[in-house]
Amino acid sequence: MLTATAAGLAGLAFALAWPVPVLLARARWPARDPVVALLCWQAVGLAGGLSLIGALLVHGLAPWGPSLPEAGWAVLSAGPAGGPVRGDHWVALTLAGVLAVELVGVLAHSWVRTARTRRRHRELLELVVRPAAAVPDARLLDHPAPVAFCIPGARPLLVLSSGMVAELDEAQLAAVVAHERAHLREHHHLYLLPFVAWEAALPVLPATTRAHTAVRTLVEMRADDLALADPALAGTGGPHPRRTLAEAIVAAAEGAGGVPGGALALGAGAVAARVHRLLDPPPPLPAAVRTAVLVVAALLLLLPTALLLLPAGL
Amino acid sequence: MASLGELERAVMDRLWAADGPVAATTLRDGLADRGLALTTVHTVLTRLEQKGFVEHDEGRPRRFRARASQEQHAAELMHEVLGQAGDRQAVLARFVGSVGPEEARLLRELLASSDG
Repeated sequence: MLTATAAGLAGLAFALAWPVPVLLARARWPARDPVVALLCWQAVGLAGGLSLIGALLVHGLAPWGPSLPEAGWAVLSAGPAGGPVRGDHWVALTLAGVLAVELVGVLAHSWVRTARTRRRHRELLELVVRPAAAVPDARLLDHPAPVAFCIPGARPLLVLSSGMVAELDEAQLAAVVAHERAHLREHHHLYLLPFVAWEAALPVLPATTRAHTAVRTLVEMRADDLALADPALAGTGGPHPRRTLAEAIVAAAEGAGGVPGGALALGAGAVAARVHRLLDPPPPLPAAVRTAVLVVAALLLLLPTALLLLPAGL
Repeated sequence: MASLGELERAVMDRLWAADGPVAATTLRDGLADRGLALTTVHTVLTRLEQKGFVEHDEGRPRRFRARASQEQHAAELMHEVLGQAGDRQAVLARFVGSVGPEEARLLRELLASSDG
């Protein structure tokens, strides 16, 4: 039998592994407020991990006590188990350990691997780029495909291809640069890292892929919003900065098409969503709804924490 | 004081411009306006070799050459940038991913329909 605490955590883990991410990924409101939606996804990921590992841990330790503080204290003070220790307790404990180690290991591994790839890219870039005359802090890469990207890190690098400069007018180029600068300024790559780890650690769980895709799209929408507020764009972005940015997105998306190895299917829906959002902006979330969603996200984190830390008797 | 990165770039430009393998002393003479010591040239060459951009022969003195042209390096980089692996967005943030011809047409229509 599961103790009440373990059952509560297991129920929460199930909800966060399946129905909650499905609903959040399908919802329309995230496009209206990417920041709040990003906070929700972080809460779902963190609470999901806590409740999944917590449920296994609490069940595995059930013979020593009905909740984590009691059982933990009994184990640490070398107290005897209050009930028979069965096979399923050992299995739960092992799974909790494996999952915790795997998550931390995958996180560390993707951190190291992305850092290595970034260094390699930066080394290559230093050889082949030259300062872009049109944009002060950007580098120019000779290539016909219209591409812009930034490499985050201690020494961030903003790169435009010569194809991008040729394809876009001055205002559109300013929009692209403002978008990339926004990624760097808000360190969006750090938002993505936990979801890269989740997906690598539990690829069998469709929610991990769904969450990763949703967070990627939201980060792009957030960068679009920041680009529109950028004073540099306000100066050169023409009378309709939203349209200017949308035109830049479409030009870049179709220009680089047909490149072998490109993950086309993943990008297409998200690109259309971004363009839709720019051309026909949805109304922002009402303040009351915004607050309510943030409270729910906070509760989502508090619930597994409380179940793990409070004694069962309370 | 020139940075190491800039020196690396200058040395690579020399190697790319050269017809064949080049000795370190020749490189130093070619970069005479920078007043480099031979040891500095060797340091830069060693770093470039570690990065896999330069290789040397077994002659005496050793002669150095670029392993790939500038265009090849640019192509390699673009291949990695365009061929997005699953976690590529964590490595670099690309402005927008590529879409197929059909999606591109739909996007164009979207732009045209909201004209004005």
